[in-house]
Amino acid sequence: MSGNDQDLLAGLEAMADATLRKRLELMLAARGAFDQELTACETLDDCQRLKGKYVGRDGSLASEAMPAMRGIPVAHKQTLGAEINSIKKTWEEKIKARQIELEAARKKHTSLTDQWDPTLTPPVPARGALHPLNRLMDRLVEVFRPLGFHVEEGPEVETEAHNFDGLNIPEDHSARASSDTFYLAAHPELLLRTHTSPVQVSTLRRVAHDLAARGGIRFLAPGRVYRKDEIDPTHSPMFHQVEGMLVGHGIGMQHLKGTLEYALRALFGPHTEIRLRPSYFPFVEPGCEVDVSCPLCAAKGCRVCKGSGWVEILGAGLIHPNVLKYAGIDPGEWSGWAFGMGVERMAMMLSQTPDLRLFFENDQRFLKAMGGLD
Amino acid sequence: MWIERKVLTQEVPVVAGLDTRQLCELLASLGFPVDSVTAREGTEALDVDITANRGDAMSHRGLAREVASKLGQSLEPIAVPALQEGAPAVEVRLESPACPVYSTAVMELGTGATPQEAQSFLLALESTPKRLPAVDASNELLHRYGHPTHAFDADRIRGGVSIRWAKDGERLVTLDGVTRTMTGQDLVIADEAGPIALAGVMGGDGTKVTETTRRVLLESAWFDPKTVRATARRHSLHTDASHRFGRGADPAMAPVARDLLVGRLQAWCGAKLVSAWTVGTIPVVSISVVLMESLLTRVAGEPLSLPDAAEALKRLGCTVEVKRDRLRVMPPSWRHDLTIPEDLAEEVLRLRGYEHIPSVLPPLEGPPQPLSQDYLKRQSLARRLAHLGFHQTVTYGFVSPEMDQQTPGPLGQQAFDIPEGRILANPLGLDYSVLRRSLVPSLVEVAKRNLKQGQREVRLFEIAPTFRGLPERPVESWTVALVWAGESWDADPESRAILVKAKHLHGILKDVLRPGTPQNVHPVEDDTILTAEFLLDAVPPPDERIIPAYTPQSRFPAVERDLSVTVPTDLAWQAMHRAVQDALNRTALTDLICADLYRGKSLPAGTKAWLLRLTFQAMDRTLLGEEVDGWVAAALAAAESLGASLRA
Repeated sequence: MSGNDQDLLAGLEAMADATLRKRLELMLAARGAFDQELTACETLDDCQRLKGKYVGRDGSLASEAMPAMRGIPVAHKQTLGAEINSIKKTWEEKIKARQIELEAARKKHTSLTDQWDPTLTPPVPARGALHPLNRLMDRLVEVFRPLGFHVEEGPEVETEAHNFDGLNIPEDHSARASSDTFYLAAHPELLLRTHTSPVQVSTLRRVAHDLAARGGIRFLAPGRVYRKDEIDPTHSPMFHQVEGMLVGHGIGMQHLKGTLEYALRALFGPHTEIRLRPSYFPFVEPGCEVDVSCPLCAAKGCRVCKGSGWVEILGAGLIHPNVLKYAGIDPGEWSGWAFGMGVERMAMMLSQTPDLRLFFENDQRFLKAMGGLD
Repeated sequence: MWIERKVLTQEVPVVAGLDTRQLCELLASLGFPVDSVTAREGTEALDVDITANRGDAMSHRGLAREVASKLGQSLEPIAVPALQEGAPAVEVRLESPACPVYSTAVMELGTGATPQEAQSFLLALESTPKRLPAVDASNELLHRYGHPTHAFDADRIRGGVSIRWAKDGERLVTLDGVTRTMTGQDLVIADEAGPIALAGVMGGDGTKVTETTRRVLLESAWFDPKTVRATARRHSLHTDASHRFGRGADPAMAPVARDLLVGRLQAWCGAKLVSAWTVGTIPVVSISVVLMESLLTRVAGEPLSLPDAAEALKRLGCTVEVKRDRLRVMPPSWRHDLTIPEDLAEEVLRLRGYEHIPSVLPPLEGPPQPLSQDYLKRQSLARRLAHLGFHQTVTYGFVSPEMDQQTPGPLGQQAFDIPEGRILANPLGLDYSVLRRSLVPSLVEVAKRNLKQGQREVRLFEIAPTFRGLPERPVESWTVALVWAGESWDADPESRAILVKAKHLHGILKDVLRPGTPQNVHPVEDDTILTAEFLLDAVPPPDERIIPAYTPQSRFPAVERDLSVTVPTDLAWQAMHRAVQDALNRTALTDLICADLYRGKSLPAGTKAWLLRLTFQAMDRTLLGEEVDGWVAAALAAAESLGASLRA
């Protein structure tokens, strides 16, 4: 027993009231038990209970002991009274510290268990999509931009002159028939353009007077066109084309081939090969069809290329002198090439979409999956 | 067109050494792609695509000529039986320039059938032998040499024969059993009783050859291509004969094909020639063309030797005169498609092979042009809307009259429009008969279909022209439409789905439209689908400046004050906003928003509660509490003037 404890005992013995003395004795005796119980506290609730037992406002050891201090003789107040106060303060501090400790642990625990479950879907901002056909047309424009091509556009309602006459299409050509082309009831000379080629006519006519100052012209004309086809898996009365045209000095088939080789490689990959085959369109001479090595099987032969390794991709040729003449351009000085490409056809080939109608049904799931957004 | 490999090989024996794939590649390289190959009658039948300009290639002989030219082979001349023309057995009159030559013969048929070989040939080409030698021989000749001929039952012809324009309203029952009513633009073969054939298209039923036919009148003529095309189209009667005459047959073949037909009937059924004769003269339909060396060089992309070019053209049957810097070329009678120098250059390149054309990027001769503002605007708008969660759609430009009436279009009901000016003369059907004035009905239809298919939320847009009927012609305006329907939900399980309301679409419009543009949001289908439509003009153009002019921002602290007020239910925020702003226009007010809107039973009847949030910030100093207090008091006074009272 230390000297301090002897002082305390002396103080207790000097107390007259046995009941009060008992309360102080209990408090002094609980010092060891408190430390043990504190260590045993696992939760904030445990702490709360401990607090109630030792230092709470009502019925705790400390709350019982405090009024009992009145019974301590003045001579012992310094030792016994101070000690009782000190014990209470210590308990309070220790509980507080333990509470903070447990609180911190709880917070840590909570933040771990309440952490967002990464396997759940996070809140995602809405995301739409561009239409696959527009995406493909945008891509074509992108591919031709570095070569100095810009975009020309024209109306969907066209004159027979722009849609046919200016393109060297004979007056009795079957494409002009009302079985092939939509005409307007109130304006018999107006029709829904059957190809993007009338943009050639309107553009060439517009630039003819200052073609030399411009240094020729080169452009793409993407757009919607109409033909009187019944709706089925491979036909649609409305579809898209991209027209390409270049007019300059001394333009020949080599320039058509060079440009298309560049563009189709940019589109399908650097190992793409192209093949020109003779063909016929009234507005070009010579005319050709252009095949690319099948981009789906690297020309090994598949269902899409029917085992041939080649896929037909567009029609092209050197601009017919009559087309230049019609636009007021001298075919003796100027020459050029043109091509026309079916956008749906290419989109179907690239995506292996089995039915053309899907592009016009606009099922949002289809649009999301096929269109996307860069 | 079907080509039977065995007969092609008879014409060009070296073809025997090519496998099917090589043969197909060869034909494709000449401009005649093969669509399919089928085994039939112990040989291969090739379905060959012939372009509209190459009527001359629409036969075995025609394609053989092409193949032989490419392979440097020469064809054996056609074995034509020696035949002496004599006096006409029937009077034949040519009364129209559309038929300049008519070779004919009268024969007495013997007994005998179409040989097995000829029947197999026809079967391989998907043509059914009639087992009538006169009919089968004519058919076989057409496929073999490309020249259509016809046999009439001579005993059913009354009097002389004339080739003339039909009289309006004249009738003829054609071989297919259909009664044709003709016009003055139809060329017919007629006897004294009337038409007996549509010239170059189809024979008549009344004079057709049957089992009982004893005497035949043969026809091997040349008809004007335009006339034949027009008649075939007018009567929707496209036949093997009309395809060939329509694309331009070889006029020199008229007497030759007649001779061949006579020879076959003699050989197949012991027919006896009564007389053969020709009326009219073979027209010259080819014209002489000069090909300059410079043009050939430009088209080919490299200098080609003129003698080599001449050689190629000669192989195709042209007569060529080689000059120092040019070729003078007379195409053969079967190539009327060769009319300009470029045609000849193409022939030279074609025989040489397009694979030899060099690949060169064309040099720039001037500065590239920028993309148009309109185009760029559409591109960036489409991307913006897609990033805002909308899906770009593509719908048809024409709709049904009912759909057309559903919404007024981007310019509203007041816009001048003659709907009749937007109607198609020959639509696919009523559902596709009017050029639409609004994109909305099409998008609503798409939205409904998507909702029905289980999409919880549908966000669509389309950028396309709409049409307005004007007296001269319909005008087209680039138009943008949006449709939003369903529940909006960000996939977070802790947040709740919200029903899309008009305000959400207004928010999108505020984002994309020029400030101050009226926002026409229209709910349809019991307000479950929200729509908006506007002209592309309502979208601001991309900024001309790469970076806008600098505007300074305050570096001093901002002070935020809230005012909670009740206001009459019908008070519009815009009025409050304007009143407070006007009251504080000389202060450091930088922002005024309605931070909270409350409607509840705890409020006095006829009122709602707004939380006005005022933000003050000066460019040059830190604001003092007292001055801000003064401004807030002024703001409250302004609010009170509109019937607001401070909430307790």
